[in-house]
Amino acid sequence: MSAGNSNRAWWFIAFPLAIVFLFTALPTVVGIGLSFFEWGAATEARSIGFENYRALLQDDQQFWRALRNTLIFAVATVPVTLLLAFLFASAVNAPWFRGRTVVRTLFFVPTVVSIVAVGFIWQWILDPQAGVLNHLLQSIGVDRMFGRDLPQWTGESAWSLAAVSFIQVWRTLGFSLVLYLAALSSVPRSLYDAASVDGAGSWQSLWRIAWPSVWPMTIFLITTGTIAALQVFDLVWIMTGGAERRWMDVLNVHLYREFSNNRMGYAAAIGVIVLLLTAIVTLAQLRWMLSRGEVRL
Amino acid sequence: MNRWMQPSASVRVAAQVATWAVALLMAAPFAWMVSTSLKSDAEAIGRDLNWIPAGPASEWQWGNYAAAWEQADLGRFYLNSVIVALVVTAVSLVHNALAGFAFAKLRFRGRSALFLVLLATMMLPFQVYFIFAYVICDVLGYIDTLHALIVPFLASAFGIFYMRQSIQSVPESVIEAGRIDGFTDFEVFWHIVLPSVRPALGALAIFTFMWSWNNFFWPLIVIDSGERYTLPLGVAALASGLFVQSWPVQMAAATIITVPTILVFLLFQRWFVAGLALTGVKG
Repeated sequence: MSAGNSNRAWWFIAFPLAIVFLFTALPTVVGIGLSFFEWGAATEARSIGFENYRALLQDDQQFWRALRNTLIFAVATVPVTLLLAFLFASAVNAPWFRGRTVVRTLFFVPTVVSIVAVGFIWQWILDPQAGVLNHLLQSIGVDRMFGRDLPQWTGESAWSLAAVSFIQVWRTLGFSLVLYLAALSSVPRSLYDAASVDGAGSWQSLWRIAWPSVWPMTIFLITTGTIAALQVFDLVWIMTGGAERRWMDVLNVHLYREFSNNRMGYAAAIGVIVLLLTAIVTLAQLRWMLSRGEVRL
Repeated sequence: MNRWMQPSASVRVAAQVATWAVALLMAAPFAWMVSTSLKSDAEAIGRDLNWIPAGPASEWQWGNYAAAWEQADLGRFYLNSVIVALVVTAVSLVHNALAGFAFAKLRFRGRSALFLVLLATMMLPFQVYFIFAYVICDVLGYIDTLHALIVPFLASAFGIFYMRQSIQSVPESVIEAGRIDGFTDFEVFWHIVLPSVRPALGALAIFTFMWSWNNFFWPLIVIDSGERYTLPLGVAALASGLFVQSWPVQMAAATIITVPTILVFLLFQRWFVAGLALTGVKG
């Protein structure tokens, strides 16, 4: 191609790149800088060095609670989702499975539904007085079995974290399942045949052949799933009604509260911490891909 | 047939039944939502587990839908959501394809460097840039207007990356043939490249539409006035009891917001799933 392309290419990229630059790249750079300032809507920005970070790490009990909740959420959701998705995808992918398309659709529907509707539906199901879950549990006698009242699923207890984690698994399972299906369908049959000749049963083939073959997909899903968990906001905000239920705060809910209270610099510092956590996960993935020779720098 | 393909009959039946059971459970909350939306308040909070509301269909509480629609002004929220999602999807598709084409097939100074910056941008969490993006929208006078929901999303790093990956697979020879016929860069893009990446365009369009339709955090920040709420904001306001406090009416609202996404998904399911697989493999 001729060097004359040089100028004409800019017509193609100028506007799209301007949008990405103006609303993503530039705000990131400024946002990182902002984390070293004290700044509210009514006040002049004032440089305070690492003071925001010191306050976060040393004085802010709520930050540590939010960090703990976020990490618990990630650990409680990602491995379970992957394992279930792999097992169900293996069943759906088997040649003898009936109704593949319908099952895949049923699994995937929660993924596409608005988080607001999801929050609504689950608040209703989990409602301690009128919700169907507690009604069901009472009708089979679970409350008498444990000799105590059934938990307030979305109230101030460890159960609310469990409930939110369960909903996250429910709404992300279909995504992982569809991706595992794509990965499984490209595993060559000859691999299974070879294992079969060696006397492996179907359960053994599953773990010795299928699981290692889809490992790149597993790494991809661990990475994207962990990042999504670290950045969770909507689900927690909606399930706790956005009220002052600080018990359930995750990092981004904490950030949003500080932002709403006009503590922009402090909120920016929390954003930078989310960025650092995300970067760690991304670098771990990159390192793995480099070691496998999947990408080269 | 080897043993992987043909496990024993009991294993097959068990796997089949378990998978179907969980698949139905996945969809059960939506069935319960629709069921509740047609009940009276008293029936909804009662202890009976009625999947089908009591009485003949003519006595079901169809009025819940009218109540949800009117009390929360859902019609206006709907219109706002449709405008935002359609404009964002149409314009960003063109922008992302244009830039993706330039990165895949044109040579220009700084191409590699710019592309690296773009890749890095893709990894950034929203939380680190939304604060100053808000300030920029404020300077531009976008706050509390639909502009704030549209302009920042008229192109995306992910979209450009996705289109670049797809366009790279268009053979160079086809493009050269177009040039020999005297096509300009834009004509090559329009007449040769775009038709051959239609599946990728379709998948990206659906992703963008769904994402825009369901976006919650950003509208929550930049929109204050009820008349400019998108559907998720409006329905969330319903949940907080701003408008009504009735489970059946709230479930009617949830149904109203859920149905379009499920329909879009069912209609375009093939593209959707194919596009997803592409993201995963190439991502």
